[in-house]
Amino acid sequence: MHMILIDSLSYRYPNSSESALQNVSLEISAGEFMILAGPSGSGKSTLLRSINGLVPHFTGGEISGKVRVNDLEVIEVGPHVLSRVVGFVNQNPESQALLDHVEPEVAFALENAAIPAQEMRIRVEEVLELMDLTHLRDRPISSLSGGERQRVAIASVLALRPQVLLLDEPTSQLDPQSAEKVLLSLVRLNEDLGLTVVVVEHRLERVLRYGDRLVYLENGRIMVDDLVRDALLEVPQLPPLVQLARELDWRPLPLTVKEGRRFAAQTYSEQVNGCTSSDVQLKTDHEPPRLRAFDVHFAYNNSSVLRGVNLDVKGGEIVALMGRNGSGKSTFLKCIMGLLQQASGTIEIAGFSTQGSSVVEIARDTAYLPQNPDDLLFAESVSQELQITLDNHQMSDNGSIERLLQDINLESQRDSYPRDLSTGQRQRVALGSVTITRPKLLLLDEPTRGLDSGTKERLITILQRWAKNDMGILIVTHDVELVAKIAKRVLILSQGEIIASGSPNIVLSSSPLFAPQITRLFPDKDWLTPDDAIKCISRQQQPSTNKSGRQPPMG
Amino acid sequence: MATITLMTRNPLYLMILLFVARIVSAVCGTVVSRTKIHFWRLAAIIFAFSILFNFLMVRVGGTVLFVLPQHWWLIGGNKTVEAVLYGAINGLALITLLAIFLAFNASVPVSDLVRLTPRALKNVGIIVLLAVTYVPETISQLQRIRESQAIRGHRLRGLRDWQPLVIPLMIGALERSMVIAETMVSRGYGATANVKHPRWIRIGLLLGMSLAIIGWLITFRLGIAGWFLLVGGVFLVIFAIYASGRNVNHTQYRQRSWTRRDWLIAVFAIIPFLMVLLSIWLVDGFSLFYTPYPNLTLPPFNLAVGLSLILLAAPALLVESSYAYDFD
Repeated sequence: MHMILIDSLSYRYPNSSESALQNVSLEISAGEFMILAGPSGSGKSTLLRSINGLVPHFTGGEISGKVRVNDLEVIEVGPHVLSRVVGFVNQNPESQALLDHVEPEVAFALENAAIPAQEMRIRVEEVLELMDLTHLRDRPISSLSGGERQRVAIASVLALRPQVLLLDEPTSQLDPQSAEKVLLSLVRLNEDLGLTVVVVEHRLERVLRYGDRLVYLENGRIMVDDLVRDALLEVPQLPPLVQLARELDWRPLPLTVKEGRRFAAQTYSEQVNGCTSSDVQLKTDHEPPRLRAFDVHFAYNNSSVLRGVNLDVKGGEIVALMGRNGSGKSTFLKCIMGLLQQASGTIEIAGFSTQGSSVVEIARDTAYLPQNPDDLLFAESVSQELQITLDNHQMSDNGSIERLLQDINLESQRDSYPRDLSTGQRQRVALGSVTITRPKLLLLDEPTRGLDSGTKERLITILQRWAKNDMGILIVTHDVELVAKIAKRVLILSQGEIIASGSPNIVLSSSPLFAPQITRLFPDKDWLTPDDAIKCISRQQQPSTNKSGRQPPMG
Repeated sequence: MATITLMTRNPLYLMILLFVARIVSAVCGTVVSRTKIHFWRLAAIIFAFSILFNFLMVRVGGTVLFVLPQHWWLIGGNKTVEAVLYGAINGLALITLLAIFLAFNASVPVSDLVRLTPRALKNVGIIVLLAVTYVPETISQLQRIRESQAIRGHRLRGLRDWQPLVIPLMIGALERSMVIAETMVSRGYGATANVKHPRWIRIGLLLGMSLAIIGWLITFRLGIAGWFLLVGGVFLVIFAIYASGRNVNHTQYRQRSWTRRDWLIAVFAIIPFLMVLLSIWLVDGFSLFYTPYPNLTLPPFNLAVGLSLILLAAPALLVESSYAYDFD
């Protein structure tokens, strides 16, 4: 039985020359859990919105083809009618709350649907319980965490008892722990209530194990449409575990670390430590570190956020600062930039205390990329955006703009309007606009939030190149796989204190919360990324190098 | 209360009103209020500015302190004690208004306020509610943008420097309102609200309004007949709004039920209010109008008026600390 039927759907946004969707056909059965993947701008969100009629009723534009949900012709009846059948949740937990408290928010859709008060009460009770929100029912929404807000959003659409739930990157703004909780609630809805779930998601490693089916889009076309395990054989850009498994011919493809361990334990029992390239020794020069924080304390509204943070970043070093939401990571970056004033402790940049310097003075030598790059952009063109920063600092161009644009792969977008660019490009414009002053120290706050893996790779390449040119880089992030790839040192911040610090393979592997997939797969090795593992394993296998020696699956 | 504040310039009455408002705020302060204003600090600033402004700008009054040269623009002329005093009274009136506003804000949450709006005006209510969540979000966004621009070396010096703040703010606000609109549409908002009101309701509304306006205009000439028209028109409007509200297909999740305590509070709120009106009307309306010009006098004080003003705080004593909701 088909819940959703899409037949040769093509769509073009108004004022756009390219089609967002081209001849897409898709059937989704009732009770299926489907993952929609693909690079940014591939049409995932557009396809999702065409299922509840937001496309084209809300967006306008040209559409052809057919979309049918539960025998309703979507293109004809529009989103109002479909709201009873299809629930829709957006990626941004902050801006989709309509009212100020949890319970009225959940009841909002019901009030509009003229559900009698008695039944409304039952339904609200029911969804609060389902989404594990009962204890938060009287709270103002502004006091909730991102994950809790996202669960409130899901609860508010569930109250209408839809048969289909559409989610547009529901976890992209969340830390791994909150994301897990949101996804698990989806699984429960799918399994217990038989709700059909369609999720758009970049971070496949989070969601793969829960899905039945994976559809991969590129340039508005469906490239892959298959059961998750089979689809993964064809999809580019994979989470580390799957990447490794595909490389080593593990079949059936493991989707979870637990499944992977069987293969890992069977195949490679020998100790093959020590083949990863050891860390490049930092120049032991005598110049002071790019950043030195000593015993930094910060309190907000009488509750202490930072309690004696010590941290050094040397030139040429990439340091990662990790920790759960609310552990004080972003606050620490703001203290460095002088946006917040620490209560006590010293912060030195290149040997000089920042005490008494203005934000503008600090920003000249230290670049800081905040979480939301859109807050930085306002100029008419990309190159102008960089020029303005130079003007602000009374510096002259001397060809540095051209060089930087090349460096961040934006030379062909030089004259584009920054806000028309893709998420990844906008982020690189923002990065350019803070680094045009050729700073020696770069601070990044969650730089991979909302990026697809291709864009992420590009960012990693840029950062590695800059580090090689002696820039000191401090990254605040939840992204374990990013840290595994580029960090030379990791610090873990918890409740305002650094609780662990050292090289990634030691710190990450000792913490179950922050261990990357490969480390969890081979707990006794010091591998962090698929590349590490592949290099070591293939070296070990060199003597008997025949591809047919692949490990048979467990039978 | 606010009306009386606007009417009177008698500092003694104003002070009573001010304290009544603060008592109400303090008692009802359990309701989460969004405005965390440092009241007395703000009050001091208003007070000081009002005095200074009046002192410099006003030349009237008998008790001259000193004389500034006449050709000084705006501030030249006699500087008098009366001007200081009048400034102080004006400041007091402003502070009292602020206190009353805060008291109202503390005792009635916005969502309750919207529930009190008639069903026909439900959309207006929802817009107000949306604004309540939208505005703080915008303020925090402005803060973020300011920081983001500061780290690009941006400084606020002239009018042109606002551009880097305003453009991202406007675009961000627009994007956010698109998300809100999308969310509302996909949650079915507006799906059932599209109800055509019967013609007689619309005619009734129009007729009622016309009657009320005509009535109001002719009260000056015809007296009592005008009043009848006015009242009749107002009733017609209320009835039409009520009738159209019944056609709106919409339910309410929680309705506050009207308890015995609510009756008690209402009675205790209305009686002192009537007493104030009566005492002003019958006993001594003139004590409201006090002015220190041209020469200093002591403000008059009428015991009945003062007492009934104090009694305005009575309902606050009945309010329990928790806000109890009941399902209807």
